[in-house]
Amino acid sequence: MSADTSIKHVTETTDFRSGNEMAAKAAAQINYHLMGYFPITPSTEIAEYLDEMKANGEHDIVLVPADGEHGSAGICYGASTAGGRVFNATSANGFLYMLEQLPVQSGTRFPMVLNLVTRSVSGPLDIRGDHSDLYYGLNTGWPILLAKDPQAVYDMNLFALRVAEHHDVRLPVIVASDGFFTSHQKRKVKYFTDRKDVQAFVGEKQPVYVDSTDVKNPITIGPYMNDPDYINNKYQQSEAMYNAEEVFLTVAKEFEQLTGREYKLLDEYCMEDAEVALFLINSASGTARDVVDKLRNQGIKAGVVSPNMIRPFPKKAIQESLRKAKVVLVGERADSYGAHGGNISHEIKSALQDCHADTTVLTRIFGVGGKDFYASDAEEFFTLCLKKFNGEEVASFDYHGITPGKEENAPKRLLAPLTKEETTGFINVTQDEASGELKVKMSTMRALTKKAKRIAPGHGACPGCGIFSGLEMFFKGIEGDIVVLYHTGCAMVVTTGYPYSAHKVNFIHNLFQNGSATLSGVVEMFWERVRRGEVEVDENNLTFIMISGDGGMDIGMGPAIGTALRNHKLIILEYDNEGYMNTGSQMSYSTPLGHMTSTSNIGVESVGKAFHHKDTVQIMASTNIPYVFTGTEAFPQDLIKKAAKAQWYAQNVGTVYGKILISCPLNWKAADNQGKSIVEKAVNSCFFPLYEIEKGITKITHNPDEKNKRVPLTEWLEMMGKTKHLLRPESEGALKQFEEEVERRWNVLKAKHESPYL
Amino acid sequence: MTMHTMLTKTNNLGLYEIRMESIGGLGANLAGKMLAEAGVMHMGLNGSNFSSYGSEKKGSAVKAFVRFANPETKLRESAPVDEPHVVVVFHEAMLTTQNCVSGLHSDGILLVNTKKSPDEIKQLTGLQSGTIMCVDALGISLREKTRINTAMLGALCQAIDFLSVDAVKAVIQETFEVKYPKLVASNLRTFDAGYSEGLMTTYIDVENTVSVTTKQAGTLLGYLTQPIGGVIHNPGNSILKDLSGSRQGYLPHFNSETCIHCAACDMHCPDFCFVWEEGEDKRGRPQQFLSGIDYQYCKGCMKCVEVCPTGSLTSEQEVEGYAHEHAVKHHFALVNE
Repeated sequence: MSADTSIKHVTETTDFRSGNEMAAKAAAQINYHLMGYFPITPSTEIAEYLDEMKANGEHDIVLVPADGEHGSAGICYGASTAGGRVFNATSANGFLYMLEQLPVQSGTRFPMVLNLVTRSVSGPLDIRGDHSDLYYGLNTGWPILLAKDPQAVYDMNLFALRVAEHHDVRLPVIVASDGFFTSHQKRKVKYFTDRKDVQAFVGEKQPVYVDSTDVKNPITIGPYMNDPDYINNKYQQSEAMYNAEEVFLTVAKEFEQLTGREYKLLDEYCMEDAEVALFLINSASGTARDVVDKLRNQGIKAGVVSPNMIRPFPKKAIQESLRKAKVVLVGERADSYGAHGGNISHEIKSALQDCHADTTVLTRIFGVGGKDFYASDAEEFFTLCLKKFNGEEVASFDYHGITPGKEENAPKRLLAPLTKEETTGFINVTQDEASGELKVKMSTMRALTKKAKRIAPGHGACPGCGIFSGLEMFFKGIEGDIVVLYHTGCAMVVTTGYPYSAHKVNFIHNLFQNGSATLSGVVEMFWERVRRGEVEVDENNLTFIMISGDGGMDIGMGPAIGTALRNHKLIILEYDNEGYMNTGSQMSYSTPLGHMTSTSNIGVESVGKAFHHKDTVQIMASTNIPYVFTGTEAFPQDLIKKAAKAQWYAQNVGTVYGKILISCPLNWKAADNQGKSIVEKAVNSCFFPLYEIEKGITKITHNPDEKNKRVPLTEWLEMMGKTKHLLRPESEGALKQFEEEVERRWNVLKAKHESPYL
Repeated sequence: MTMHTMLTKTNNLGLYEIRMESIGGLGANLAGKMLAEAGVMHMGLNGSNFSSYGSEKKGSAVKAFVRFANPETKLRESAPVDEPHVVVVFHEAMLTTQNCVSGLHSDGILLVNTKKSPDEIKQLTGLQSGTIMCVDALGISLREKTRINTAMLGALCQAIDFLSVDAVKAVIQETFEVKYPKLVASNLRTFDAGYSEGLMTTYIDVENTVSVTTKQAGTLLGYLTQPIGGVIHNPGNSILKDLSGSRQGYLPHFNSETCIHCAACDMHCPDFCFVWEEGEDKRGRPQQFLSGIDYQYCKGCMKCVEVCPTGSLTSEQEVEGYAHEHAVKHHFALVNE
């Protein structure tokens, strides 16, 4: 890093950073009061970087890990009413999950800054970058600034807060940058060397307008307001939104004097005399500029326009820029299905109609789902413009980059469906008529190798992943056919990468806040169709199972509880690897105290996760469902027997919940071959006791104390890189706290085991 | 330390482009980052760096991209590197499972982590011209207990004329000293070994008229053939995949002589590699017998070795051809059978 003092009023540092790093850098330098967040690719890194910086004492932002994006938006909204500066970052379905909260915040006029790292909206699940999430944001009433490269991400984050807090605006503001193309691409960038200069630019203290905690000035926020008043609130909001344009320009001018970097409403490239032009949002515009240079060398008057702000829509600037061009192609990385063009095309057409321009506007939907945009794509766009310019017929709206596919490659069924013989006759569960107790008779482990696996080999999990040994061991106890629903997460992603699926049985995916509800619907539809005589399968041979990670039991806790309270006949099986591993190891509520994740870092200011692990088993037990259990692959007979009982209850009584602890070598930072031993130590240290709660009665199924197998917690912790620091003298306090909590929960469990009334 | 490097060979946008082909876990992402940082922060170049992303997994294919440009050249391209000057292959097995050299310039450089010679790699890839460099990065990293990425960077510095050894070593130092200071010395030694142990041959094809090698084909299904809604109507087709590229030098060997068929390996294998046959026990009753390992799906995690009570499974260094010769294939029930 080298300090550059040549620019006008502020010293800047040159560095090599990605968009996400620059967003985090800006937030840290601004030193927001609070960030409420929930991890979602590709914006997650922003919270991770901030957590790491906080662990090293680089800023004071309070980082609140929410239980989902709806929660994170709520945390941010609440915080913004309480007088401080608020920051958040999200993407795709995370943005849609918080969508309901966004008009609440803009309509009640509380500023904050949200980084939207744009990504394709599900389904099917696609984690790469397009603008389908951004387009949902257009009508939320938040001004939206666009950042086309990592430098702009930093600069726009400084502008955004100024715009948000300006007395003529007072609205929450979105900074949108392209997921992966910008968020994960490192470029040469500059940032203010001294954070005092940042604070001087944004203002050291936010101008507080109302404060929900100022008891000397009582106020009512968010009243019940029908007509005729509501429309006047909206008119104020509309005016404030339009004011954001002028404020942006003023702030950008001030910034230019400090840094020499100029931002207008539009970035125009060779537009003075352009006859054909592309209008592109964010990163694709860079590639298009390269192509303009090439076309200009061939004598073609080509140009590119990319906006720096899309809300408010810079109508006048767009009229001035595009009215001289003959043909403009608007490339849109999202569709407005059925509208004969994406949202931006129609807004541009409307702007040009208002000034009676005779510019032809073409629309091409491109790059959806993160499909790359190469120079050759930009050239094809210009070719279309030139054809139209030369009077040829060109479709005004179409998709670009689609392929028909060849008939010979069309998918054909490969595996024969599992037969009853392959999956039944290995386990027998009977109920003792007198006592009501279940008796499980099962084959030996050796004989069970004959039972068909429900998951095929060839899935893409990491070497040594504990999910699949855990799930298949559980399935060993399940007889007959199953329909499974997997929440978003590692198990889902690595088994269903299109066009492959590793599931031999019927499989559904839904987003991880809603799987329990979805499977409830499947189950009830099935039984209603059985009642109506529409179903041709053996209903007594079918079991419904939902598979979730611990992340899905955080964000999906509400629907899981709702499902349990309704007591649908299904099993909820949670594989707990103590974090959001699919997105790069962020802490979940199930992460134990002191464990290191990418959002619970170790540093001078922190020793890993700050609060105790969630006792999901007891939460689910309190819904009074007939059967609840825990298990691990280290105790096969125990787990298979519980699976058999789970199936019996799910077929005959109602909802079952079970949690299996499974290893994640990658993010536990442990050896690939140690999975079984680690979860065994977790059981024998009493961190993860094996037990079941059958019709309300708790029974410990493996008591390490009685079996003389008890090991100290440290023997488990020393096996994983994520917990080794807990054995160091400086972590003594955290370790003691953790040991005490484990012991307390174990003692409570033993008391429950002793008494049928607890 | 800032130098003023000038690039001589660039594409029509003034860019020099490098693509790294790897398996998650081998450190290509970090190698790309360190290389780009060396160019931008120490050698006075403009540059960019990113990787191809899926979910956060070890063992699946990843690509890392580095672009360099002279300082005054604008770098606006954000798409992946399609026509590289240099391709770096971190795992030799990838040369047969995918078209790693897709789009490589005919006078480009191919660097491969392999024990093979440049002539053998030329034959394997069908490259007609360009420079091929081979380095046994895995051997070096096993020796130094490091990852192969710093060895690959060493070899790359030997292969690419404008790269500064001092700059790359400075970045290796900076990268490791903060969090893993104990790894600085071993990684610098790994780099040096990679720099000095590579074998390089340049091939000239006088007949050659194409500027780049054939590019990778697109997607298999299209809008006429993809079932609506993204539904997969042929599930279980993951059995067509070959995951042997996920192994990092080791695989389990099976000794049937000492096996007691307890099924512990089968219970704990995450990848369902164990193949069983029904036979008869001593009393003539039907019984399950472990017949072997289907190495097509084995990622080399060695959980099976760890849980085997009789030592019938052992962890061994993978020798070329072993898995092919010793694999016992699964018998899948296919629809047309």
